[in-house]
Amino acid sequence: MDIALRGIVLFLFVYLLTRVIGRRELSSLQPFDLILLIVLGDSIQQGLTQDDYSITGAVSAVGTIASLRVLASWSAFRFPWLRRALDGHPVVLVEDGKVIEKNLRRERLTIDDLAEQARTNELASIADVQWAIFEPSGTISFIPKQ
Amino acid sequence: MTEIPDGIVLKRDRDLEGRQYDVWIRRGLMSLVAAVPVIALFNVFGQRPETHMLVGPAASLKIYAPDRLRGGLLFEGRFHITARQDIKDAYLVLGPGWAEGMSINTIEPSPVSEASNSGRLSLELGHIGAGKSFILFMQFQVNPTNIALGRKQTVWLNDGSDRLLTFSRDITIFP
Repeated sequence: MDIALRGIVLFLFVYLLTRVIGRRELSSLQPFDLILLIVLGDSIQQGLTQDDYSITGAVSAVGTIASLRVLASWSAFRFPWLRRALDGHPVVLVEDGKVIEKNLRRERLTIDDLAEQARTNELASIADVQWAIFEPSGTISFIPKQ
Repeated sequence: MTEIPDGIVLKRDRDLEGRQYDVWIRRGLMSLVAAVPVIALFNVFGQRPETHMLVGPAASLKIYAPDRLRGGLLFEGRFHITARQDIKDAYLVLGPGWAEGMSINTIEPSPVSEASNSGRLSLELGHIGAGKSFILFMQFQVNPTNIALGRKQTVWLNDGSDRLLTFSRDITIFP
């Protein structure tokens, strides 16, 4: 019972964290971000199961988190108005080779970040990009000019 | 005019219509998240020990222990008795709030005897001569499922059956 309650509280906290931290931080897996993720997981585990080493405890904790994840994704699917809060919407960063700076600033991205992402998508110049869209997952989709 | 990618609504995703406050909501929530460790620095969630001093005609008692705790926390309760008069048979009696949901890892020095005094934990410390001090160290650990809000922790210092000092405080245990 206690583990399930802890699981619910920590799930909500981590969900909130992933929504407020920003997509950029979530999508980039720099060495520091990787370390941060490990530290985060370790800290959460201690608060979740504490000194409970039982299989029952582990099943309760994992079951709670998995169920809440499914519930969240089902809610986003079933209720479109919730999708904005739970998943967010995409943001257009480039249209017809022109950077929309206001949107870039909003997502704490620089032109250099955008150019780097474009290069990894085999696009030498932002001018060659028809659409660049910052997806809710934190990745940037590039659609080249025809 | 080039084709707009599927699922993209320009007013919403490019012009951010109706989304201008999203960033402020995000910043507000992030501030709340960041506020938690800042509040923690001010001992709101505990662990920092507090000192309470009691002075009576026969003895003084200084208690050094945190009154805000969290599940699983190891902490020390230090009871410093200074006899102003000869205490023939000192008893430190702890109310049930000291032991409820706590593991008592060790008591140093070991009391002469331990007993229950109407549900209280009675520790016999023996003779403390006038002007002498006795420091009792107790090491506790909060059981992970222990949660408390305003739980009473009372301490009595007795000489045999005579009460010398009484102290009571409230503790909070965060989950």
